[in-house]
Amino acid sequence: MGLIIETERLSRSFGDRLAVDGLALAIAPGEIFGLLGPNGAGKTTTIRMLATLLPPSGGAARVCGFDVVGAAGEVRKRIGYVMQQVSPMGYYMLTGREKTEIEAALYHVPRRQVKARAGEVLDLVGLSEDADRLVQEYSGGMQKRLDLACGLLHRPELLILDEPTLGLDVPSRHRMWDHIRSLCDQGMTVLLATNYMDEADRLCDRLTIIDHGREVVSGTPAELKEATGAPSLDDVFLRHTGHALREEAE
Amino acid sequence: MMWSQEVLALSRRWLLILLRERLNLLFSVLQPAVWLVFFAGALGGAMDPRAVGTDDYIAFAVPGIIAFTVVGNGVTAAMPLLFDKETGYLDKLLSMPIRRSSLIVSRFVFQVGMNSAQVVVILLVALVLGVRPASGPLGVLAILVATALLTLALTAAAMALACAVPSHGTFFAITGFASLPLLFMSNAFVPLSAMPGWMETVARANPLTYAIEAMRLLVLDGWSGGVPLSLGALVVASALLLAVGSWQFARQTSERIA
Repeated sequence: MGLIIETERLSRSFGDRLAVDGLALAIAPGEIFGLLGPNGAGKTTTIRMLATLLPPSGGAARVCGFDVVGAAGEVRKRIGYVMQQVSPMGYYMLTGREKTEIEAALYHVPRRQVKARAGEVLDLVGLSEDADRLVQEYSGGMQKRLDLACGLLHRPELLILDEPTLGLDVPSRHRMWDHIRSLCDQGMTVLLATNYMDEADRLCDRLTIIDHGREVVSGTPAELKEATGAPSLDDVFLRHTGHALREEAE
Repeated sequence: MMWSQEVLALSRRWLLILLRERLNLLFSVLQPAVWLVFFAGALGGAMDPRAVGTDDYIAFAVPGIIAFTVVGNGVTAAMPLLFDKETGYLDKLLSMPIRRSSLIVSRFVFQVGMNSAQVVVILLVALVLGVRPASGPLGVLAILVATALLTLALTAAAMALACAVPSHGTFFAITGFASLPLLFMSNAFVPLSAMPGWMETVARANPLTYAIEAMRLLVLDGWSGGVPLSLGALVVASALLLAVGSWQFARQTSERIA
C-alpha cells in the first residue's frame, strides 16, 4: 500500500509571509505521525492544506493517493479532521447524539445506519451515557471527545488531529491519548499536530519538527533523542528550534 | 440522493435549535400578528380610503406585515452562516465531502418553512379581524409562493452580506440601518401613487414592492393579470439576488479548495 500522506516542496504564503516553505512529508499507513513546532511554525497551515481547506501556493500534496487540489472531494471522503478549536456555539443547543447524527448524514453514512453509527462512535469515546445531554453542558474534555467521535463517523483512512488536547486537564489528556492509541491499533493513520512534547513522545511513531514553515528535523522520538543526546523531546525541540533562546532575546 | 441527505441534515440542525429556543419561537410567531393588530389597527383610522384604495386598511396592510416579517427573518437567516464563519465551524463543514450548495439551500428550505408558518398565522389573525382573501384558498397558496420567492431573495441578500463583512458587528450595523428604509421605500404601508416621485422610483426598484403588489391584489381584488406580472418581476429579482449571494459565497470560500 502506498503512502497516506506525501508532500513535495509544499508551500503556502499569505502576502509576503511564507507560512509553509517547501515541506516534504511521507507518512505510511498505520503510523501516528507528529507535526511539531512552536506557535506560528506553520502546523495549522500545513494541516489546512492537507484537509483541502487551503490551496497550496507551491508544491504538491497527495492524501490517500489523491491530489488535495485536483481530487479534493476524494480526499474529503477519506479523512477525519478534528480542528484545534471550534466554538460549540453553532451546535450548543443540540445534544451530543443529535450533533453526531447530523454529521454522520453529512459524511454520507447510509440513512438507515446513521443512528447505529453515531451510537458506535459515541461509545468509542466514552460518551454514551452523556449522549443525550446538550453540548453546552459538556466540559472541554467531553467536547474534544465529541469532536473526535464525529471525525470517526465515516471510518476515515486518515485522522487529522490539530492540538487535540489543548487546554485539557491531565485525566482528559490521558483519556484522549488512550483513544488515539486504540484507533491506531485498529489500523488508522493519525497525523497529530501538537505543542506538547510529552504527548508526541508517548504517541508518535515518527515526527517532524518544523519552524518558520520549514522542516527542522525528522525521525522517531528515540532517534531524535539519541542523535542529540537530549534526555527528553522537550530538549530536542529546544536544541533544534532555539525557540526558548529566541523568546528570551525578544 | 446524497445532496438531499445533506440538505435535510443541515435543516434538522436549524429546526432542533429553533425548537429548543422556545421563547425565540414564541416571539417569532407572535410578532407579526402583534404588528398586524396594533400597527395596522392604529394607522387604519388615520388613512384616507381614497389614497389606499380601500376602506379596509388591515386588509391593505396584511401584505406589508408579511413583507416586514420576511425582511426581519432575512437578517436572522444569515446569522448561522455568520457565526459558523466566525467560530470556525464553517471550516469543519467544508472539510466534509458535502456540496457547497447544501449549506445555502438548507437555509433556504428552513427559512421558507419558517416564514410560511408565520404567514399562515398572520392570515389566521387577519381572518379573525375580518379579512378574507378575495382570491380564495388558491390565493392563499399564491401568497405562500410570493412569500417563498421573497424569502429566497432576502435570504440570499443577507447571506451575501454575511459573507462580505468582516464581523457580525458590521453585519448588524448594516442590516439595522437598511431594514426599515427597505420597508418604507416600498408599497408596504402606503400605495406607490401616494409617494413623492423620487420615492416611487426607488420603490419600483425594490423587490418587496412586487411581492407586496402580488399579495395585495390576491387579498383585495382576487385573481388578475397583475398577479403573474408582479410574481414574474419577483422571480427576476430573486434570481439576481441569488446570483449575488452565490458569487459572494464562492468568494468567501475561494481561499479554500472548491
